[in-house]
Amino acid sequence: MTEVVSENSEVTVLLVDDNPQNLKVLYETLKDKGYRLLIANEGEKALDLAHRHRPEVILLDIMMPEMDGYEVCERLKADPDTADCAVVFLSALDDLQAKVKGFSLGGADYISKPFQSQEVIARVKTHASVIRLERELQARNRELQSDQARILNSISEGIYGLDENGIIEFANPASALIMGCTAEELIGKSFFDLHFATAAACKDSLPVMATCQQGVAENQRDIQMLRADGTGFSAEYRATPKLDDGELHGAVVVFRDITVELENEQALDEARTLVQEQRDQLAHTSRLTTMGEMAAGFAHEVNQPLTAISNYARVSKRMMAKDAPDLALLRETMDKIEAQSHRASEIIRRIRRFMKKPATGKEVLSVPGLLDDTRQFAEVDMRNNEGGIEVQVEGDLPDVQGDPIQVQQVTLNLIRNALEATRTAGSSAPVEVSARRCGDHCVRVQVRDHGVGVPEEAEEKLFHPFYTTKDDGMGIGLATCRSLIQAQGGEIGYERPEDGGACFYFTLPIAGVEGELCTAP
Amino acid sequence: MTDIQQTVYVVEDDEAVRDSLELLLKSDSKPVKTYENAGAFLREYSDKMAGCIVLDIRMPGMDGMELQKKLNEKHSILPIIFVTGHGDVPMAVDAMKEGAVDFIQKPYREEALLEKIEAALEQDKEQRKSLDEKQEIIRRVKSLTPREREIMDRMIAGQANKVIAIELEISQRTVEIHRSRVMHKMGTHSLAHLVRMVLSVKDLID
Repeated sequence: MTEVVSENSEVTVLLVDDNPQNLKVLYETLKDKGYRLLIANEGEKALDLAHRHRPEVILLDIMMPEMDGYEVCERLKADPDTADCAVVFLSALDDLQAKVKGFSLGGADYISKPFQSQEVIARVKTHASVIRLERELQARNRELQSDQARILNSISEGIYGLDENGIIEFANPASALIMGCTAEELIGKSFFDLHFATAAACKDSLPVMATCQQGVAENQRDIQMLRADGTGFSAEYRATPKLDDGELHGAVVVFRDITVELENEQALDEARTLVQEQRDQLAHTSRLTTMGEMAAGFAHEVNQPLTAISNYARVSKRMMAKDAPDLALLRETMDKIEAQSHRASEIIRRIRRFMKKPATGKEVLSVPGLLDDTRQFAEVDMRNNEGGIEVQVEGDLPDVQGDPIQVQQVTLNLIRNALEATRTAGSSAPVEVSARRCGDHCVRVQVRDHGVGVPEEAEEKLFHPFYTTKDDGMGIGLATCRSLIQAQGGEIGYERPEDGGACFYFTLPIAGVEGELCTAP
Repeated sequence: MTDIQQTVYVVEDDEAVRDSLELLLKSDSKPVKTYENAGAFLREYSDKMAGCIVLDIRMPGMDGMELQKKLNEKHSILPIIFVTGHGDVPMAVDAMKEGAVDFIQKPYREEALLEKIEAALEQDKEQRKSLDEKQEIIRRVKSLTPREREIMDRMIAGQANKVIAIELEISQRTVEIHRSRVMHKMGTHSLAHLVRMVLSVKDLID
């Protein structure tokens, strides 16, 4: 019962009768039922109360002086604020004509005098709950409509509702903003004529046409659309067919101006290209620096065959000066000269290839070949490393994908660091270079030395630019290595070996295997 | 004092350079022995070796400078010609300070190398000769009796026969006899020559 009371408490009932006795009876009947009761003894007062309090139910006497119940009802229904009230006529009259007139003026019900209190209570209750529900429903509808309107208004994408011929039936404020006119100006116009200069020429191939006519959803980016003033803009749109019980009723088009977006994308692309160029440039500079550091080694390396050639040539001359030159021996010496000149040019070829700019781009690489080539390169710089460089490659190692020069540059850098650490430590242990398969997607190359090692506090910053643990280092080497390996889709890292020294590794993606980035170890 | 066989010892890690240098020196009728690293030479080294070493300054493992140091420790007198590359000049200077006779840059002209080798062999011969002479002096010094040795030391110190006789409480005549034996054993007639000879080996006999 409490529920009923609380429901009723929101309900206002207006009692209108010129007879105080009747009013009193009605009041006595309905009081304590949880309604808020208002009383009026004449028409004007009733209208005034009704306008101010918007009662759910009005019990209205028909026969009143000055303004009768019919007129009161008419005026209530004419006022939008009171039009939804349930008007229940009260009258001694009990003829059909009066009832019909009451209903025709918008009355909801009829109670005959003298009242049966149970009837009054029951009818008021019924009408009160009907009106209350109706009002709630309306309130919700209004809420819903305003929500939709807010969404449509606040959305930054333009939205059109089109009929099957492409005529705009609905346009949200954003579409008007993009078009540069008001939404009202758009309604009723042809979407195609409005937005496409070529509308007349090739109707069938126009965007959205297939959606309007065949119900096919469409989705395009970077198409040119026209504004109201005839200027163009780059747009992206989605067209969805409007279907009602499977029947096509045009399309909904969501579109936006992507000019700024495209500009941003282009700027991003340019920035990426610039970064790539700078990385290549830095890598090249770093290679030049390495070559500079190794220059003495290279001079030595080239001088070896040149010295041998010069010696062999002198020996040959002496042989020829003899009365009976040993031609077989002479030929053998000449062959040696030839071999040595090939050797010299091979060294120079290797240097030139390494210095080349820009790098050659990604290729399918054989890891053993690459490591062996790099070992020969690094040996130039070995100086007093007694242990030398040992290369160990797992059998059946798959080829990898990468830029040969950049990969060689990284490997060379790691090996040279390892040689230097080994030298500094005065160790005669070799620098161990090894390669093995690592998971389904990559090959791992590792350079391990038994040198001075990396201080623990340096580990974290090893690959940071301008961080160095060497007295004369610039902190460029490993940072460059990292950016180069990342450009190949691999990873580079450091591991602290338990028995001292240092261990650097990098991974490279296996050629022809699609997959996520290589992850170490 | 027989003229011993001099050999050019080539220590060079690069096979082609080693092979070509061997051929070249052989064609110049020089006895040659080659070694592919410093360790191999060091294992075979003895003070009987005569000639010179042509030594590559840059080698993996023990390099030329280290070998020179090790040979110095063994009192080797073999002259060393360092073969250097471009940019190794500072190293060559250090090597010279350590007693190398010369250095030559790769690639070199044959004449230049042969000249340096000739000079080194000559130096070796001289050194070996003076070494032989010293050894002869030492042998002679060692042939003296203790008394003769004492008299000789006093003679070198410039004491007159009379002073020696008084201090040793022997007759002046006896001093004269010892003195003539010393001169005879040392193979000289002049006191000045004796002084020179003994001073030249002073470090070796005390």
